[in-house]
Amino acid sequence: MAKLTPRMRNWLEGLGAHIGTATKKGFPTVIVVDKAKVEGDNIVKFQLTDAQVQQIKQNIEENPRVALGPGGLGSIRAAYQFKGNARLEGNTLIVEVNEIYCTKPGPEAGLRLDVLPYESILKFESTRWRDQGPPK
Amino acid sequence: MKLPKEIVDALKIKDPQDVFVYLTTSSVDGKCNLMPSLFTDVYQDEFILIPDLFAIKTKINLNENRIGVVTIAYPSEGKTWALRGPCGHIEWGLPDNYNFQGVTAGEVLRRWGNWDEIEPVSELPEEIRPTVVAQRGVIVLKVAECYTYSPEESGKRIS
Repeated sequence: MAKLTPRMRNWLEGLGAHIGTATKKGFPTVIVVDKAKVEGDNIVKFQLTDAQVQQIKQNIEENPRVALGPGGLGSIRAAYQFKGNARLEGNTLIVEVNEIYCTKPGPEAGLRLDVLPYESILKFESTRWRDQGPPK
Repeated sequence: MKLPKEIVDALKIKDPQDVFVYLTTSSVDGKCNLMPSLFTDVYQDEFILIPDLFAIKTKINLNENRIGVVTIAYPSEGKTWALRGPCGHIEWGLPDNYNFQGVTAGEVLRRWGNWDEIEPVSELPEEIRPTVVAQRGVIVLKVAECYTYSPEESGKRIS
C-alpha cells in the first residue's frame, strides 16, 4: 500500500491536483481541483462542483482508475504523480492512491517511489527539494 | 481548430514558473498518465509542441492510443483551459516527410528538435530543471476541442 509523505500531503492539500480520468477504452477527460484533503496514509478527497461531477461521472463508473498531478506550482515543484482507484460519494471524489511516481523531467522521470521503503522516499525527497509544501 | 490568441500567448515560449502545463494520455484500456511540461510552444496556432525529455510512459500510451489532453493553469491571469485532440510523437530518426495530422517530422525537428537551443535549460532554477537534456523528439497535439476547467463551468466548450 502506498503511503504519502508529509511533503506530498502538503502540496496536494495546498494546491489540489489535475485529475486524469478515462473511459474504459482510453478516451481521456481531465478536471482540475484547487484543493484536497488527505486522510490516513493514502486517501485523497476532492470536493467537486456539479459541473466537475458531470464531466467525470461516467468515466469513474466504468473505469475507476485515475491519475493525479499536483496543481499550480506543484506541477513543477512537487514532481509526483499519484495513481489509484476513485469513487464518487455525492460531490466528493475519493481516491485511494496505490502507486506514486517521480515526474521530474530527466533520468528519474517515471521512477516508482511507493515500492521503496518509506524512509528511502523521505530521503529521496530531502535530497532533491528543500521545501515541505507550497509557499504560504 | 485554431486556438484563441490568449491561449497561444500562454503556451508560447514562456516562463515555466508562470504557466503550468500537464499532458494527460491514456493506455488503450483506460489507465491515465500525467506528464508535467516545463516547456511548450505552438505551431500554426493549432499544434501544441512539447519536448520529449524522458517521456517514457507518455510515449507508450501514444503508441497505442493517439489522443491527449493538455491542461493549462495561468494563475496570474486567472485562466484555465483544457485542450484535447489527436496526439503523437515525432522522434529523431523518422524521415523528414513523416506526417502526423498535417505536420511533418522535418519541419518540427528542424525548429524544435533541440529545445535547449531556443530555451536554455541551464537558466532554470536547480530544483526544477532536468539534470541532463537528452531530447528524443517532440510530442505534438493537434487541438480539436478547447474547454474551460474553472470549477463552476468545468467542461464548457470555449470554441
